[in-house]
Amino acid sequence: MNAPLPPPMRVDRAVVGPRAVVWILGLLVLVLTVASIAVGYAPFDVPAAAGDLIAGRTTLPALVLWELRLPRALLGGLVGFSLGLTGAAMQGYLRNPLADPGILGISSAAALGAVGVFYGGFAASLSLALPLGGIAGAAVAALALNLVAARGGTTLGLILAGVALSSLAGAMTALALNLSPNPYAALEIVFWVMGSLADRSMDHVWLCLPLMALGWGLMLSTARALDALTLGEDTATSLGFHLVSVRLRLVTGAALAVGSGVAVSGAIGFVGLVVPHLVRPMVGARPGASLWPSGLAGAALMLAADLGVRLLAMRPELKLGVVTALVGAPFLIVLLLRERGRGA
Amino acid sequence: MARRSGFAVLTMMLAVSQIWSIAAGMAAPASGGPRHVVSMNLCADELVLRLADRDQVAAVTYLAHDPRGSTVAREAMGIAVTRGLSEEIVALRPDLVVAGAFTTRTTVGLLKRVGFPLLELGVPNDFEGVRAQIRTVAAALGHPARGEAMVADLDARLARVMPAAKPLRALVMRPNAFTVAPGSLGDAVIRAAGLANVAAELGRDRFGQVPLEAAALADADLIVLDEGEPGAPSLADALLHHPVLDALRRQGRTVSIPNRLWTCPGPQVAEVVALLAAAAHQRAAR
Repeated sequence: MNAPLPPPMRVDRAVVGPRAVVWILGLLVLVLTVASIAVGYAPFDVPAAAGDLIAGRTTLPALVLWELRLPRALLGGLVGFSLGLTGAAMQGYLRNPLADPGILGISSAAALGAVGVFYGGFAASLSLALPLGGIAGAAVAALALNLVAARGGTTLGLILAGVALSSLAGAMTALALNLSPNPYAALEIVFWVMGSLADRSMDHVWLCLPLMALGWGLMLSTARALDALTLGEDTATSLGFHLVSVRLRLVTGAALAVGSGVAVSGAIGFVGLVVPHLVRPMVGARPGASLWPSGLAGAALMLAADLGVRLLAMRPELKLGVVTALVGAPFLIVLLLRERGRGA
Repeated sequence: MARRSGFAVLTMMLAVSQIWSIAAGMAAPASGGPRHVVSMNLCADELVLRLADRDQVAAVTYLAHDPRGSTVAREAMGIAVTRGLSEEIVALRPDLVVAGAFTTRTTVGLLKRVGFPLLELGVPNDFEGVRAQIRTVAAALGHPARGEAMVADLDARLARVMPAAKPLRALVMRPNAFTVAPGSLGDAVIRAAGLANVAAELGRDRFGQVPLEAAALADADLIVLDEGEPGAPSLADALLHHPVLDALRRQGRTVSIPNRLWTCPGPQVAEVVALLAAAAHQRAAR
């Protein structure tokens, strides 16, 4: 197949090739994962614990490494990758620099789905119900947004639809938690709205990993189509891309990746918004080329934020969404101002 | 404007009902006790329902009916409930309101301002405080002898407990990983069972939460889990079923104490002491 033409709107001035960027970001994620395992709340000999774990000795340190430190680091990477990748795919497909699973309400809807399943007691009988609930919520939101986008409209129109969806899902989440007979449920609104990776376990990793990986695969398979779409839908179709299939893969992929992630970590905002903009200067403006780097950068950002909440001397630790919002919200404002400057 | 006139009406209602309650108080029989007691706090419910005559109690909190948190769910059956809202309380025309020092503060503040007969219960830090609170409530209800009997029963049950032979190190984990701080009643309960509170060794944050890995690595002999019954899940309760704690549970290093026994500083603390001491004996025998 012919390689798509470089998009006309920006000169490709990538300093390093996309491949090198992927390697560098991959290395960064690896370093941050190791750092995340090494940082915690109690003095802990990681090599000794790893030795016990590998030798199959069920000591207390081995248990803490396997069930607390490792899942926290892995989930940080996995959820971050999902959010970054989804953000890049959505920005590419919708040709909208403000698209992000958080802003468009997909994360909030996923949280609502997970909340319904968890507090309804379904997750107790079938643990897989938890990620499935999140995925169902995310899928409904992604489909709704797709309908809005398909009807045409401005960049900001779609964002406003997302904001409305996001506040609706947030309010429904709060309502569901207030109605729960468990006295603690109402206090857990904060977890579902702001997200956290504290005290998760390996069970959560196994629950979300397969579904997430499937979602990544679907979204990554659209890379070439996303590049072609920068030339317009007609051109992309004439280049042999089946747009319905692309749309379906993106919506399903986003729902799987974000839905299963939010179900175990709560909704963490702005990662998907920020990272595609950060990697674009490095890999050029082709959306297809920014998918892998955005995913890895999302993982790095999430791991760094999660290290931050543990290293800050604030107890109980900050929710992750607080940190990502501190980075992301000013970023969003700058983007909005720039968008206005362009007269959109 | 509308709000202000609404407030005026409420104040008037309160004033009227106050006059009514004074009149009712004068009409009360010579035995002295109040006739319309309203309790606004679960821990007050537990004492009031145990110490008062049933027809003295006008209302308890909605929490009293929930067997997960309340030790008096059976006694509370058939008695009206409130959520501690001012209008509910006023409508009941109580001649004694028993409230907690940290709950429904807005209503308590309002009742105080208009001079309702009010008894506020603090949170005792030791067994002496528990005894004093029982006596205070019993006296206010007009049944001081029942209070003395309850205190004697508490002391007898405490005296029957055989404390652990050697001071095992125990760590309490409540929902959301809260522990019991040194100097609290929970701490006194642990010590009465012959155990040492590991929370004193750990750096707790200002809310008394212990990170799970710190709890696991503290290597306590006994982890005391304050568990609610299954049914209505929450992340706070799910934390007590984290694989790390489940692994310790399989090693026989945990003991579960039902949530309702911990919640209030009533005579049931003797039961907690007995359960902890029994668990300690079992653990020491391993």
